[in-house]
Amino acid sequence: MLWYKAWLETRSRFVIGLALLFVMACGVVFTYRTVQELIPLASSLGQSGGALGRLVSESAAIESTYRGYVWWQWFRQNLCQTWTLFALLLGTGGLTLQGTRGGALYTLSLPTSRTRLLAVRAGTGLAELAVLAFIPSIVITLLSPTIGQSYSVGDVLVHGLCLFVAGAAVFCLTVFFSTQFADAWSPALLALIVVVVQSAAEFVLPTLRPYTLFRTMSGESYLLDGALPWAGLLVSVTASAVLLLAADRNLRRRDF
Amino acid sequence: MADRLTIDATDLRKRYGAVDALCGLALGVPAGSIYGFLGRNGAGKTTTLKVLLGMARPDAGEARVFGLDATKEAASVDIRRRTAFVSEEKDLYDYMTVDEMIHFTSSFYPRWRKDLAARYRRTFDLPGDRKGKALSRGTRTKLALLLALCRGAELLILDEPTSGLDPAVSEEVLQALVSYVDSAETTVFFSSHQIAEVDQIADHVTIVDRGRAIVQGALDDVRARYRSIQLVFDGDAPAVTFRAPGVVRAWREHRVLTVLSSAGADEIVDEARGLNPVSVTVTPLTLKDIFLETVMKEK
Repeated sequence: MLWYKAWLETRSRFVIGLALLFVMACGVVFTYRTVQELIPLASSLGQSGGALGRLVSESAAIESTYRGYVWWQWFRQNLCQTWTLFALLLGTGGLTLQGTRGGALYTLSLPTSRTRLLAVRAGTGLAELAVLAFIPSIVITLLSPTIGQSYSVGDVLVHGLCLFVAGAAVFCLTVFFSTQFADAWSPALLALIVVVVQSAAEFVLPTLRPYTLFRTMSGESYLLDGALPWAGLLVSVTASAVLLLAADRNLRRRDF
Repeated sequence: MADRLTIDATDLRKRYGAVDALCGLALGVPAGSIYGFLGRNGAGKTTTLKVLLGMARPDAGEARVFGLDATKEAASVDIRRRTAFVSEEKDLYDYMTVDEMIHFTSSFYPRWRKDLAARYRRTFDLPGDRKGKALSRGTRTKLALLLALCRGAELLILDEPTSGLDPAVSEEVLQALVSYVDSAETTVFFSSHQIAEVDQIADHVTIVDRGRAIVQGALDDVRARYRSIQLVFDGDAPAVTFRAPGVVRAWREHRVLTVLSSAGADEIVDEARGLNPVSVTVTPLTLKDIFLETVMKEK
């Protein structure tokens, strides 16, 4: 029943995220032709040089195929950013927040350990994020034939896996902050700051590029070279585990 | 049975920042008793309950419930399996309906009393489909009590069970509590700052102030021990220090010397006769008198 409680606490955020991603996935499929018509224009713009020009050229080159288009528009941008937002939102809440809003003492009076409470909460959030990582992307596979294209389930699974495994660190970071701060917004805001700083780090230290969050989440190396971003995934899994352990420690030592 | 302690705490200390919430509190709650934990707001009552339930950790001291160490996580889970708790705020889940709360809570307790839950749901007239956030304070309290009483718990811990309730609902809640305890072998430990409530249902009492127990024992014993002794003299009452044990405090007002004793009146009266008073009057004290006099002394 703790799972049911965690589901009730997070379901509105999850359902909103799922609906939003469904709409966005449909949008990606049905704007394909329009974007294709703009590719020649983008290519000529890209020749003007500069950082922006390079980005436009890179985008035009990758989006010249349907597989590249889906990756650029969906896995690299829309899904990656929206999913991260919902990872932040789903990570907030829990006992510490309930300590100020009510409900924490009732939960703590039940015959269950704080470790289990945290594990159920994290497990529920991760399960919801897994659904958000895979199911809306399947919509692209299902809708692509309607515009005369195809997108493989294999690509959905690989990119979804990269997104979920790497992005779980964002969720775990928010969970960790949620055990520290008793308000609703500080944990999400702090985690967002960490994510932005971490992503910007590759511009200062280019050697960090293979490990940065968004590159790992998007599965860029899989699209370009067919290789999974193992290093980034390993770093993310380790970070997630450490953050959850730290959150557990935080929660266990806390007075309510 | 009366010799066995369900709760046994010694020298409990807890500090929140600059505030000492508990300063060496000792507590022994006999199995099967209805134990009132009386004190002013901020006296340390809620902190004590939280320590017993593993919600807060003491800085020092020992707290045992059913002989289990309440500060150890695994033991604390066992304690909570055998204990029901109603918090002062009656904080339930706003997003669950009454029926969901009952179903959710019952899943944690193998000895859950379905029959009792159905009975209380009818008696308290609880709306099954209404969410927690839409319940009035009185209805929340009744639901919290139902969720506590139906667990088949050996120990009920109630924090200010009737706070914020009107007299009619208060009475209903207390009656439900008393009739439940009559039918089950349960220890009840409840905190309150309402003396009448403790007087009405408790058989044991601790008065706590500033994190320390200042009066403790079976309620009848406490009532029997505490006496007010009034000595009237011809002239101004003399300044005197009594050697007899149990003098809580003594104060003079013109010809009258009043002594408050926590150990009966006999020895003090014997000693006072040597002062040649015109009259000696011994008055038993109510729990309210005892509370006010002892807490005032502490103040």
